[in-house]
Amino acid sequence: MTTQFKLHNVVKRYGSRTVLTIDQLALPEGRIYTIMGPNGSGKSTLLRIMGLLLVNDEGELEVLGEKVNWEKEQLLQLRRQMSMVTQTAFMFQGSVEYNVAYGLKARNMKSRLIRARVGEMLEMAGMSAYREADARTLSGGERQKVALARAMAVKPKVLFLDEPTSNIDMASAAEIEKYIRAINQQQGTTIILVTHNLFQARRLADEVIFLHEGHIIERGSAQFIFDDPRDQRTLAFLHGEAVMQ
Amino acid sequence: MNIFVEGIKEGVYLIWQMDPEIIQVTLLSLQVSLTALLLSAMLGIPTGAALALKKIPGKRIWLNTIYTLMGLPPVLAGLLVYLLLTYRGPLGQFELLFTPSAMVFAQVLLAAPIVCGLTARAVMALPQDVYDTAATLGASRRQASATIMREARIGIVAALTTAFGRVIAEVGAVMLVGGNIRWSTRVLTTSIVLETRMGNFSTAIAIGLILLSLSFLINLLILKLEKRTLRYDNTIQIT
Repeated sequence: MTTQFKLHNVVKRYGSRTVLTIDQLALPEGRIYTIMGPNGSGKSTLLRIMGLLLVNDEGELEVLGEKVNWEKEQLLQLRRQMSMVTQTAFMFQGSVEYNVAYGLKARNMKSRLIRARVGEMLEMAGMSAYREADARTLSGGERQKVALARAMAVKPKVLFLDEPTSNIDMASAAEIEKYIRAINQQQGTTIILVTHNLFQARRLADEVIFLHEGHIIERGSAQFIFDDPRDQRTLAFLHGEAVMQ
Repeated sequence: MNIFVEGIKEGVYLIWQMDPEIIQVTLLSLQVSLTALLLSAMLGIPTGAALALKKIPGKRIWLNTIYTLMGLPPVLAGLLVYLLLTYRGPLGQFELLFTPSAMVFAQVLLAAPIVCGLTARAVMALPQDVYDTAATLGASRRQASATIMREARIGIVAALTTAFGRVIAEVGAVMLVGGNIRWSTRVLTTSIVLETRMGNFSTAIAIGLILLSLSFLINLLILKLEKRTLRYDNTIQIT
């Protein structure tokens, strides 16, 4: 199994505040990883660094077998093998079709192929009826589904998901989870998921990475982390979240 | 009140008569203002976008300067252009003073900061999500920048309509550098000043009406174009 991400002594600071310190992290391909931790623990920062949207201040980063030098050409070539769904599932002004076709157009794909791929993706996401609809009038759950279809249209090797089911109802969340699992199982896409939802993490994750104040304090299989956490901080977080949820 | 009614009547009559001088003045007004708007867009949109998106040393000072220039008094702009183009000025050899080119030059000085400043504001008002989403979908820097401009286009159209409003209604600068010469540099606004000074108030009102109608038509055209490109854009619904 190839390792897709390797982080070595990666540090990120905002001003004088250190928000992330990762001594070592290696993620092999084809699995579903869940990054968990309390607010401000550095989950989104870690996701954005791995997604090459944020430059680390110190340390080395290896993505898809390449040491990242942050050169324009390398960034584009690596980013074109990954995609991300952000928490807001931002939609560009335009139709659902325009949004799903965006990454394909960026790759100069022929319009006939784009139309076919968009149709295929929308069908997979159960959003075919919305093809011509204004993307900004969709509900939260519909936006998340379109954002997923848009991210998957480019056939990424890695898919980053930042709280993909926050603020949406349980039925929509269940559909999205089903979709995420299908993507991973059918296409072998590595999924890196940030979530607060314990039950979702338990249902989806092959492996859980637990962050606290910018450090990885625990990592292991979902079962191991949820049933037998070693760190008291993980235990306290899991207990608190379980009570809340 | 009578004077207004007379003015309106005369305006309709002048338009109906297709007075050659009025037509020439109207066409020159349009030519000068639209050329100035085009040049201002070519200068102001890329500069505004660069100011908003690029890491430029002293960015705040640059922005503040542009915002200040947005309120540049027209007579001051006229004076600057006059001094540049006058016989003894640095560009005097081109003999542009008292020509429509000088008027365009002065209007660009007034309109370009408006286009630049409002474009910068429109781009800066966008969320980081625009770039992040484009980048994570594999857009190159050029493609992501084009997407950012697309998302900011309502603001950019607003910048263009504001700039057009400024130049079409402008009188101080064009009077100074154009000279209000009959059949050469006389435009609608300078004609109003001239007719008012001569006591021909009805004619002045008539020309004012033509000016307003022209502005209305051009803005209508811009709005039509905007509506076509913004088929999917939503505005706030108040119920």
